Amino acid sequence: MSRVFKARNQVALVGYAHSPAVRRATRPLGVTAIETAKAAIADAGLTVGQIDGFVSAPLLPASGEHKAQDGISIVSSHWLAQHIGADPAYAVGFQGIGQLIGSLTLAVNAIASGAADYILFHRALHNPAGSYNDNPMTEARGADQWVAPQGFYGSMPTIALAYNEYCQRYGATREALAVVVSEARKNGARIPWSAWYGKPLSVEQYLAEPTLFDPLCRYDADMPVEGVACFVLTSAERAKDLKNKPVYIAGYAIGYPRENRPMLHWTLDDMMEAGKGVAARLWRSSGLGVADIDLPQAYDGFSPFVYIWMETLGLCKLGEAHELVLSGGIDSDKPRTIPVLSGGGAIGNGRMHGVPQMLENYLQLSGRAGERQRADLTTGLSCHSTPSLGGAVVYTNDPV
Amino acid sequence: MEIDQHAAGTAAPPPVRIIPIPDATSAGYWEAAANHVLTVARCAVCGQTTLPPDMSCPHCHTTEPGFTFVPVEGKARVRTWTVIRRPFLQGFTPPFMLVDVELNDHPHIRMVAGLLDGAEAKLEIGTPVVVAFEDIAPKISVPAFRLEKSA
Repeated sequence: MSRVFKARNQVALVGYAHSPAVRRATRPLGVTAIETAKAAIADAGLTVGQIDGFVSAPLLPASGEHKAQDGISIVSSHWLAQHIGADPAYAVGFQGIGQLIGSLTLAVNAIASGAADYILFHRALHNPAGSYNDNPMTEARGADQWVAPQGFYGSMPTIALAYNEYCQRYGATREALAVVVSEARKNGARIPWSAWYGKPLSVEQYLAEPTLFDPLCRYDADMPVEGVACFVLTSAERAKDLKNKPVYIAGYAIGYPRENRPMLHWTLDDMMEAGKGVAARLWRSSGLGVADIDLPQAYDGFSPFVYIWMETLGLCKLGEAHELVLSGGIDSDKPRTIPVLSGGGAIGNGRMHGVPQMLENYLQLSGRAGERQRADLTTGLSCHSTPSLGGAVVYTNDPV
Repeated sequence: MEIDQHAAGTAAPPPVRIIPIPDATSAGYWEAAANHVLTVARCAVCGQTTLPPDMSCPHCHTTEPGFTFVPVEGKARVRTWTVIRRPFLQGFTPPFMLVDVELNDHPHIRMVAGLLDGAEAKLEIGTPVVVAFEDIAPKISVPAFRLEKSA
């Protein structure tokens, strides 16, 4: 990348809509996507006819045997554009892991380059019937042959292995992770569209839950849900004329796995090593440093990722995130803390794949968080997936 | 898994394990495993090792790596572990222990496999283990590990 990110603060979020995140949907995912997209366009003060770009990441994340069917289990950009009656100049989908940030960078770049003027950005998540992760395979071919015959399969064992290495190395305890999960659920319980609205989880409830993948229990993973979130992006210039206070994208960075490993073997060291590059590129891209960020939102699709991101970004020292958590350092209701889960995260909202982190930045920095509105915010940051597969975005409502 | 507890006089059949299906890139690995020999893939161009073999070498990035499977010492150190109490795959009876190890003679290679000493085994970072094999079907063996002190 050249030294200056030319799109810095040139692209803005100008509207949003979020459907209820529900365990089981009563209507097709596509219907929810159409309605949520229309709501977001209206929220931005625009009409469907003005939307000339559609960007998304349509992956169905369940690791069991589930088919991707457009409009049913996934919603692609093309499908949504067609079903909403738009005639886009640009409609694309991001493939791969780190869906939210991968697709968001496509949208930012498209606006900055002039490929589109107004982009409808969406993420639609389907919760398939039956077990989300169970796989009935009796033979293991391709990438599966290196893991499944040994009994290694699914993301929870992956995270349990990486997190246990963290615990063994730094002395982290289940009591600290209970605080992470409880903080996410406390904040998610305050969000009307959350799958956990009105349902906080106490530290005691967490600690009473048996482990399933030691040292993790079921509360350490976000709950699969069905739901759709949409955002509208446009140029900073066009945003001036719209009704909502714009929130500008200051910069972004994505990380990549470097080591050849078996499928889903994400080691702690691999994630942290990738994180060094992500952090360096993020600060260079945005022109800001960690001390400048008012509202960092850590990704928590699995609770240990909160530590990984806090340490990757330099919000605390390496190996000390769990101590900061245990001392009340991420409590969003206390002054002078680092409220990394103020938006409830994935654990507090349901598996919306990075949407809660992005949305909390948008709501708080545009002054639209209602009763949850925090004071004196200028900058924010959302983390997505892991540093080796996702990345982070920096936002500001006051571009210099 | 449903097990009929009333099947008089007969033990429940052993769970059917998932069979690895060798392909052109892995046949040598599974042939050696059937003889209880753990191997890693060595690139014919740069001589460096990796696992699993990919279509290119992760070290020198040649697209003609000509991987050969070379035996390793079979000793490793535990980097981390987890007890699986709710498997996503059929054929595994919980609880069981998975260990994530680095091979002593190829420390850049990590493997995740079962620990045959059981879910109650006492582990710490660096605990020495040695490779063992589970014979899951005729001529098919899957690598696992065993505590060195118990081997």
